[in-house]
Amino acid sequence: MAASEPVLSPVELTRRRRAWAGWVRLGRLERGGLIVLALTTAVALLAPILAPNPPTTAMPAGSFAAPGTDGLLLGSDELARDLFSRVFYGIQASWLSALAVIASGVLIGGLIGTIAGIAGGWVDTALMRFTDLFLALPAAVLVIAVVAALGPSLPHTLVAVAIVWWPWYARIVRGEVRAQAVRSHVDAARLAGVGRMRLALRHLLPGAFPSVLVTASLDVGSLVLILAGLSFIGLGSPPPAPELGAMAARGMPYLFGHPWIPLAPAIAVFLLAFAANLAGDGLRDLLEDH
Amino acid sequence: MRFRRRAGGRGAARPRAERTTTAVLSLRCLAVSYPGGVQALRGVSLEVAPGEIVGLVGESGAGKTVLGLAALGLLPSSAEIDGHVFLGDTDMATATDEQRRVARKRFAGAVFQDPMTSLNPTMTVGRQVAEVTGSMAAAIEALERAHVPDAPRRVGQYPHELSGGLRQRVMIAMAVAGAPALIVADEPTTALDVTVQAEILRLLSELRDETGTSILFVTHDLAVAASLADRVVVLYGGRVAEVGPAAELLQQPDHPYTAGLLAAHPSPDSPRDRPLPALTGEPPDPRAHVDACPFAPRCPLVTPACEERLPQVTAAPSHAGLVACLRAGEPHTSLLQVQDPFPDQASTNGRPPALRLDDLTKAFGSRQSQHVAVNGLTLEVPAGGAVALVGESGCGKTTTLRMAVGLERPDSGTVEVGEGGRPQLVFQDAGASLTPWLSVGEHLEERLRAEGLAAPQRAERAREVLALVGLPISVLGLRARQLSGGQRQRVAIARAIAVPPALLACDEPISALDVSLAAVVLNLLSRLRAELGMAILFVTHDLSVARLMGDHVAVMHAGQIVEEGPPEAVLERPQHPQTQDLVAAIPRLRSA
Repeated sequence: MAASEPVLSPVELTRRRRAWAGWVRLGRLERGGLIVLALTTAVALLAPILAPNPPTTAMPAGSFAAPGTDGLLLGSDELARDLFSRVFYGIQASWLSALAVIASGVLIGGLIGTIAGIAGGWVDTALMRFTDLFLALPAAVLVIAVVAALGPSLPHTLVAVAIVWWPWYARIVRGEVRAQAVRSHVDAARLAGVGRMRLALRHLLPGAFPSVLVTASLDVGSLVLILAGLSFIGLGSPPPAPELGAMAARGMPYLFGHPWIPLAPAIAVFLLAFAANLAGDGLRDLLEDH
Repeated sequence: MRFRRRAGGRGAARPRAERTTTAVLSLRCLAVSYPGGVQALRGVSLEVAPGEIVGLVGESGAGKTVLGLAALGLLPSSAEIDGHVFLGDTDMATATDEQRRVARKRFAGAVFQDPMTSLNPTMTVGRQVAEVTGSMAAAIEALERAHVPDAPRRVGQYPHELSGGLRQRVMIAMAVAGAPALIVADEPTTALDVTVQAEILRLLSELRDETGTSILFVTHDLAVAASLADRVVVLYGGRVAEVGPAAELLQQPDHPYTAGLLAAHPSPDSPRDRPLPALTGEPPDPRAHVDACPFAPRCPLVTPACEERLPQVTAAPSHAGLVACLRAGEPHTSLLQVQDPFPDQASTNGRPPALRLDDLTKAFGSRQSQHVAVNGLTLEVPAGGAVALVGESGCGKTTTLRMAVGLERPDSGTVEVGEGGRPQLVFQDAGASLTPWLSVGEHLEERLRAEGLAAPQRAERAREVLALVGLPISVLGLRARQLSGGQRQRVAIARAIAVPPALLACDEPISALDVSLAAVVLNLLSRLRAELGMAILFVTHDLSVARLMGDHVAVMHAGQIVEEGPPEAVLERPQHPQTQDLVAAIPRLRSA
């Protein structure tokens, strides 16, 4: 850049102050949501370090140990595994899977949306009809088909979900790019002699960031739920992988005798989705302030 | 201590004040602030007498719109109100929502800037007017009183089917339908053509004569206020700077700010070879707390005493009004001093024309419903010359400009551009022509990169260009929303001239600006034109601006040029009816 001053200008300071004011003005719930979002991501990434025991090893305390026995915070499951550690790893799997699906959606959808939005004409029409085609696929049936064809595994499920997820992002990005394209700053850039590629990347695409960011953050919660649901009906990793939906499903027979076994992963799914939705709301409010 | 309350709450904590005058609207020490420390009004006292038209003038941010909303009791609930606003006998500052609604219905009507957003797009205009008048027959009558032609047919139409001027007439019909004691009109003509503006002003004035309603007319244009109002109130930084009878105040202003606004206003007799005397500096920060005269930093008459305390509102020495200035009545000679002429223009002898448009046509829309925007237009801008293109909205002037700079391809005809940098365009809304997430430095850099300059030269040229348009280097890292309106316009101009273009096209660059800022921008363009020897094609709807900016004035109508010539000839001896209309519609500060 032409002039980046090391000392913050007064305007820069005001901007920071304003960002802080925006943060303060957020509701307590949304603020909590953003904090939880940061914490959850940290927990997910650090699960191997934070979890006290390996997720698939039988503990000396034996099967069906009640929460608190022998240092096992949430007790043990029917195969004597540490439930607390398994929930930890389950959160990691759910969270990172949701983020992976969204990342792929933003990437594929963003690319197709950008090309359609910038090219316009028949390219736009062709790409958007192609996108509509994918929007029409029934998600659950597609997942079952993929798993039936390729065998049950988390990556297969994720690929199937990603296939139905990206079209939304393609539509958002395309819409925002089209909206930017008719604004006079794009005409001004064109007159300044800015090339096509640069015009797209510097003057059109950044306009789509806020909407994509907000949609993506609100999607995390839905994806956590959808993936947990698929895993609950057996369309996730095969056992003994610690996955929240599958853990809840396999724990169901013990609901009355040892309720912690199905409830711990179920509550974790609930909290995860709730936190993700709060964080999405918080992010949206924060962006609307600008 | 002072009692404060939030609008929309109950005024239990406030002592009740009684109305003591016959005024239709009476403000007492009205102060309005918003969360975040914005003090929109800082103690305004004002009365509007029955049948009086009061023109409320000020720059953007002076608090004039807030005052209008306060009078109607329409301030958002986040606003903190101090003082009293009597509409009829209701104090809109302390009344409950219900009391305010009743007072509005009984006493007030409102006309806002954009009738498209104030009318309901899903209802016919007849039904909307009938909501106020009670019956469709009365609605037709109300529309006829607002001179809506063919009213019985119009009642069945939707707002989008009407022109801007007609929509504003519908709004006025609704505003006067309930026979209100007061009409608050907030910039009702700003979005309209000059000729339509003149008609609407005439209509408001007639309605006042017929019905005896009072009008609070909010505008940023002193000339518009002058042509309509009995009394003019000049607001500055949320306070009254000067109040007085319109004719006297404009003849002999006592506040240097009023004098400055008057001097900066382009008029049909401003000298063409020298800058308009523009006010320097920027309007005050609405968040800042000031104990001095708010105008002191921009005032040519400032004394140390001005910076010590707030000037009291006192009787004006030169007219039957009030003024808040320690040096009121002293001659403002320093404001009216003759400006140095623009520098001599760089020689352009022997160079081919900067722009030659030959028999251009351009149509939009499908084959079934075609709209011909430009229809066989021929125009030449000599090298280093300045041509002003004047016309009403929809006459095709913007399309012509876009074809001239290459943003639009003509259906037929040719566009030839002379030697020099590629033609550039200064847009009407400078803020929107800057990419919101890029900094000033990046904008300039990009323009220079396109010309193949190396990085060190780019950085150097960026600094030079900022100096040329009078901006400090420190704006390089800022984005559009961190700049003031005036700074944005300068940045847009800086980018346009970073590589001196063969032709600088300007699309109404001042129509959205305050008078003082407009003068600054016009001066800047004229000076740059002389210094850089570039040609200017200046599009405007205002003939007095066209005269100032163009050596040659071309009047456009329905996609064609209907009259052209030297500015004096066009303004003084207009031949074509369209030109005559435009000349007649120029708002004038002083009646001839």
